Amino acid sequence: MKSRKIALWIVLMLVVFLPSLGFAQEKVIRIGALYPMTGRSGLYGMDSVAAAEMAIDEINAKGGAAGYKLDIIFTDSKSKPAYAVRVAERYITEDKVHFLFGVVSSAVGLAVTEISRQNKVIFIGTDHAATELTLDNFQPYYFRVSNNTFQSMTAGALYLKELQKEKPWKTISYIGPDYAYGHSQLDEIQYNLKRFGVDFQLVSKYLPKLYEPDYTSFITSLIKDKPDVLVSGFWGGDTVAFIKQAKAYGLFEKMLYFHPDAGGNYEVMSALGAEMPAGLVLSARHHNNWPDTELNRRYVAEFKRRTGRYPTYAAEGAYAGIYAIARAVEKVGTPDNTEALVKALEGLQIKLPEDPDGFTSYIDPQTHQIVQVQAIGVSVPDDNFPPAKMMLGKWKVYKAEDLLPPKELIEKRLKK
Amino acid sequence: MDFAFLATQMVSGFSLATLLFLNASGLTLIFGVGRIFNFAHGSFYMLGAYFGYQVSAVWGLPFWPAILVAGAAAGIVGSASEYLFLRRIYGRPHEGGFQILLTYCLILIFDDLVKMIWGSEYKSIAKPPGFLGAVQVGDVFIPTYNLAIIAVGLLVVLAAWWILSRTRAGRIARASAVDREILGCLGVNVPLTLTVVFGLATALGGMTGALAAPLRSVTPGAGIEIIIDSLIVVVLGGMGNFWGAWFGAILLGEVNAFAVAFVPEWSSLFSYIVMVLTLIFRPEGLFAPARIRKA
Repeated sequence: MKSRKIALWIVLMLVVFLPSLGFAQEKVIRIGALYPMTGRSGLYGMDSVAAAEMAIDEINAKGGAAGYKLDIIFTDSKSKPAYAVRVAERYITEDKVHFLFGVVSSAVGLAVTEISRQNKVIFIGTDHAATELTLDNFQPYYFRVSNNTFQSMTAGALYLKELQKEKPWKTISYIGPDYAYGHSQLDEIQYNLKRFGVDFQLVSKYLPKLYEPDYTSFITSLIKDKPDVLVSGFWGGDTVAFIKQAKAYGLFEKMLYFHPDAGGNYEVMSALGAEMPAGLVLSARHHNNWPDTELNRRYVAEFKRRTGRYPTYAAEGAYAGIYAIARAVEKVGTPDNTEALVKALEGLQIKLPEDPDGFTSYIDPQTHQIVQVQAIGVSVPDDNFPPAKMMLGKWKVYKAEDLLPPKELIEKRLKK
Repeated sequence: MDFAFLATQMVSGFSLATLLFLNASGLTLIFGVGRIFNFAHGSFYMLGAYFGYQVSAVWGLPFWPAILVAGAAAGIVGSASEYLFLRRIYGRPHEGGFQILLTYCLILIFDDLVKMIWGSEYKSIAKPPGFLGAVQVGDVFIPTYNLAIIAVGLLVVLAAWWILSRTRAGRIARASAVDREILGCLGVNVPLTLTVVFGLATALGGMTGALAAPLRSVTPGAGIEIIIDSLIVVVLGGMGNFWGAWFGAILLGEVNAFAVAFVPEWSSLFSYIVMVLTLIFRPEGLFAPARIRKA
C-alpha cells in the first residue's frame, strides 16, 4: 500500500515537473512581431503573419536553426506608433525576445527602430518602405529585408529613361498620399530622373490624404494638366479606388499611368478583376508570377494551400525576415549574442522567392538594407491567379546594384 | 483656366457632394429625430458595401435591386443594434458620452465581424451594365455612373422631404425631435419610432455604401474613413438639419473640387478650415432656420 502511494507521488511529480524541465531545456529563438490586424492595412498584417508562420514551420520541420526552434508572438500594431512602442518594450522586458520583427507602416517602423536602438535588440523590418530607416535614421540594430522606395523609384527612373527613346515623353504629373511615403516617392523620382540626365518637366503634383475615398476632382484636374506620364505613389486600396474612378473618365487613354513602388500589388489586381485596365506600367516588392523560378512557384502555391488566397507583396517580406533570422543564428550558433548576430546579418545572403535565377538577395553591410532585383511590368490579360483577370507581363528587369543610392548620397544621409 | 475646366470641376464637386450627402443624411436624420450621435454610421456604410458585394458579386443579383437589398439589410442590422444596445442607455445622465463610446465599440465589432465573414482582402462590385462610360457635353466629361449617383441623391432628397413634411410618420418623427415625453402621452409609441428611424437612417448609410462600392475599395475600416467627412457635412448643415446636410455637402464638395484645382498641395486643408470657421461663427450650422438661430 505504502509503496503504491510513493509510486503515485513519483508519477505525479513527473507529470508536474517534467514538461517544464523539458521547456527549460528546449532551445528557442523568440521573435516579437508587430503587424496591423485591423482596418485597411489588416490585409498586409494577416498575410505577413501567414507567411512568417509558413517559414517557421519549414525551418522547424528541418530541426530549426543551429538546434534552436523558432517561436514567434504576434500583436496587432493598430498602425499606431505610440501603441507599437509599448508592445515592443513589453516584448523586450517581459517576453525577452531575441528579435523585434515586422511592421507595415513606416511611421510605426520609425518608432520601433528607436526602441531597438535604445535596448540593443535587433529589429528586422519586413515591409515598410520609407528610405529614412536605412539612411537618415540608420541605427546598427535595424535591418530591412524588403526594397525601400528609393530602390523602386530608381528602377522607375531607369524605365522612364529607356521609354523616352522609344516613345518620346516630356511632362509628368505626380499623385500620391500626403504622408512620408507619398512625399519621398515624389522627391526620389525627380532626384533619380535628374541623376540619369533625363529631360523632363513636372507640371503638377497632387497629395490627397491617405485613404481619400473620392478622387473625382483630382482626376478631372489631372486630365486638364495633360501630362505625358502620371507617376503614382498610391498605396493599397487607394490605388483600387483611383483606378476605378479614373477609368470612366478615360484617364488611362490620355496619359501613361506609371506606378513603380506598389501599383502592381496583387491585391490591386484581385480587387479590380476585369476592371483593371491594360497597359499600365506597374511594379511591386514581390510578384506572384515573376520570376518564374521553382522557389517562387513553390512559395506562392504553398501560401495558397495554407490560406486559400494568393499572397500580397507584404507576405514575402515576412517570409524573408524569418529566413534571415534563421541563417544568422545558424552562422553564430546562438540567438543570445546580439553583436555577433549583427555582424552575421551584415552582408548575409538569402535566396528568396523574388530572386531571379543567378541572383541571391543580400544585406548591404553599410546601410543594413537588403539589395534586390526589381522587375517592372505592364498590365496584361492573365487569369492564372484568380480572382485577378490581369497580371503584369512584358517585364523589364533592373539589376540590384544599379538601384542603390550613389555613395555620396549614402554618406551624406547617414551622417545626418 | 478655361470655362470647360471650371464646369468640369464643378460637376466633379457635385458628384463628390452627392455621396457626401448620402453618407451624412442618415447621420443627421438620426441626430435630428433621436438626438443620437451614431459614431458607427460609417460602419453601416461599410456593411452596405459588403452586403452589396455578397448579393451582386457572389449571388449574382442585378445591380440596382442589389443596392436596395444591401440598404435594407444594413437597416435591419441598424434597427437590431438600436433595439439591443442603444435603447438601454437612453435618458442616462451624460447620455452623449455613452452614445459615443457605445457606437465606437460597434465600429470595432463590425470591423472584425466583416473580417471574419469576408476576409481582409479588398472587395469590389462591378458597375452596372450601361453605366460604364461617360457622356460628353461640349468639353465637359461626366461618367454616367456619377450621373446616376447624382440622380439617386436628388431622389433621396425629394423622398425624404415628402415623407418628413407630408406624411403622418414624418410628423411623428419630427415631433419626437421636439418633445419625446409629450409625444408618448399622446399615445405614440416613441421607442418604436426611434427604432424605425434608426433603421431608416442606417439603411440610407448601407445603400450609400453599396452605391459607392463600384467607385471605391471595399475593405474593413472603410467606415471610420468616411465618418469624418460626414461629420463635417452635418456640422456645416446644422446638427440634425436634413436640408442643411444637402447644402453642406454641396459646399464641401465644391470647396474640395476647386481647392484641388488651384492649390493642389493644400487641398485637404480647406474642408477643415470651413468647418472650424463654421464652428466658431455659426455653431448652429450655416443653414439653420432663423428661429433656431435666435434661440
